[in-house]
Amino acid sequence: MSAGIDLQNVCCDFGSFRAVDNATVAIKPGEFFSFLGPSGCGKTTILRMISGFIEPTQGTIRIGDKDMKGQRPNQRPTALIFQNLALFPLMPIWENISFGLEVRGVDKATRRAKAQALLEMVDLPGAADKMVSQLSGGQKQRVAIARALAVEPKVMLLDEPLSALDLKLRQHMRAELRAIQKRTGVTFIYITHDQGEALAMSDRVGVMSQGRIQQVADPREIYNNPVNGFVASFVGENNIFAGSVSNASGGMAGFDTALGPFRARLGELAKGNNIKLYVRPEHTVLSETQAAENSVPVTVSEVSFEGAFIAVHGQTTTGQTIVAEVRNDGSATVPEIGAARFAHFNAAHASILPDTTAAGA
Amino acid sequence: MHKIRQTLARVYAGAFIFYMLLPLVIMSAAAFNNTDKIPAIVPWKGATTKWFTALWADDRMWHAFQNTIFVAIAVALISVIVGTAAAILINSVSGNLRAALYGTMISTILIPGAVIGISTMIMWTKIGNGLGSDFILFNPGLHLSVLGQVSYIAAIVMLLVLARLQSFDQGLEEAALDLGATHAQVMRRILLPHLYPAIGAGAAVSFFQSIENFNVTQFTRGGADTLTIYVFSKVRSGITPTINALAFLLIVVTLAMAVLYELKRRRNASVEAAREAEARRAAALEEAVI
Repeated sequence: MSAGIDLQNVCCDFGSFRAVDNATVAIKPGEFFSFLGPSGCGKTTILRMISGFIEPTQGTIRIGDKDMKGQRPNQRPTALIFQNLALFPLMPIWENISFGLEVRGVDKATRRAKAQALLEMVDLPGAADKMVSQLSGGQKQRVAIARALAVEPKVMLLDEPLSALDLKLRQHMRAELRAIQKRTGVTFIYITHDQGEALAMSDRVGVMSQGRIQQVADPREIYNNPVNGFVASFVGENNIFAGSVSNASGGMAGFDTALGPFRARLGELAKGNNIKLYVRPEHTVLSETQAAENSVPVTVSEVSFEGAFIAVHGQTTTGQTIVAEVRNDGSATVPEIGAARFAHFNAAHASILPDTTAAGA
Repeated sequence: MHKIRQTLARVYAGAFIFYMLLPLVIMSAAAFNNTDKIPAIVPWKGATTKWFTALWADDRMWHAFQNTIFVAIAVALISVIVGTAAAILINSVSGNLRAALYGTMISTILIPGAVIGISTMIMWTKIGNGLGSDFILFNPGLHLSVLGQVSYIAAIVMLLVLARLQSFDQGLEEAALDLGATHAQVMRRILLPHLYPAIGAGAAVSFFQSIENFNVTQFTRGGADTLTIYVFSKVRSGITPTINALAFLLIVVTLAMAVLYELKRRRNASVEAAREAEARRAAALEEAVI
């Protein structure tokens, strides 16, 4: 049913602009894979190359071991769900869904039955004879999914299909998309700029920036161990401390920063290297007393209530803002603005990455 | 002040409509005036239907009418095909080629009809002479009138279809291709259905443009009559209110069609409004359930 996709050194140029630069990634059959990145990072270009609307300038794309070179969109075993859904407004829903079968010459009764079965699968059993304009946003979304599934694609390509929906519905549809993917076993390739979406739905995520794939890993790995500054700062929030390695021993290292010495895991760096420490706000703790290490005096400058957590901003002596998130579990004490505190983090929770601007962070 | 302005606007609108419709009313009324020969409403000599009876008996005019309808149907048919194809072609290219194609199509609208008529006639007869052929295409006749009229009426269709193409979502074409459709299937199932309203309007405009055409037809018709040609010849040889009777019938038919069209448009609009209301209800329900 489903097929893997193999991108080998794929490049795509638009004139002198390189939209996708040397992308190599192997997506497994049946996987839910997301390309995550800001707009203009090349993720949509990758999707359009897989679906066949754009030919790569260099490199090969294989779907299920078959080279896709020269194969047009209507010859590929892929189905694309467009950002604006692109439902056919002049056809009733059932004809929309069975359009892919109609163009393959399937007879009307079979098409109708198949459309009905798919409508039941996406939980819209009564919609067969309605028109697109009669449906709500979420219902249109389901019809688009059913239409793509009708041709029994080996790979589903989704181009930010949830971006037009409001927050509640988007979260609901996330779960539903995930469930449909599990049920059908089809390989899903999902394009999004919404890190929450990518992390929550995907088996693996490929983070992209400036045409390059920065990191491919499962969501936890992406969040906990970003490979470079771009991934660290694009996925989730961070407190960032720039400095250099002052000493190293037993996998741990001391770092000199403008805010004093820190200690954290060393990684693959050596003494003297310029580094940045990335510490998540939820790993940053505010206390009234100074801890033994990784503790910075701050003055509370802002408190913002976010519902599930409370974000406390503290100003350091150098003017840097450090954010600490306090879980709103009922017992949380929130300092007043102007209060003196120490911002502290556990050495195991900091990510240390070489300080370079090459990744575009 | 506001009231005066409103009154003035009404007076102007009334005068405008009056100015537009008065000739039609006078012309129609003349069809019922019991005069001797010349169409007129003064002096009013009593109502009669004798001009309709005379119209029924006027074989030459019926023949001209028949020719007009045949020519109009042919012109509408060919113009729709040529105009739609041109619009799709022009829409799919860009730059200088687009400007050149567009300019070529549009220029025929700007060229005087007499010039189109004369050049159409000369071109085909010269080709015929050159080939030494007596084939019907190379002799003046209504088929040349059709070709001459198409050369500018197709451009009108093209403009209508081109405007409609602007609102076509290219994404629909890509979606259909992605689902496995060939380009021919995309054309038949996705693009043309979107264009049908413009194509329909184009066909109607072509039909009526052809019926009222005089100058192109005059130079290309050979010996055949169309209605405009016949009326023109009658003006010289002595016109009777049978023409008014025919015009009255045409007006009635046109009005009836306009009313039917408007009723259909309103029904479609209310169906669409109901659909949108249903979509809003579904959205509200969705919000409540999740």
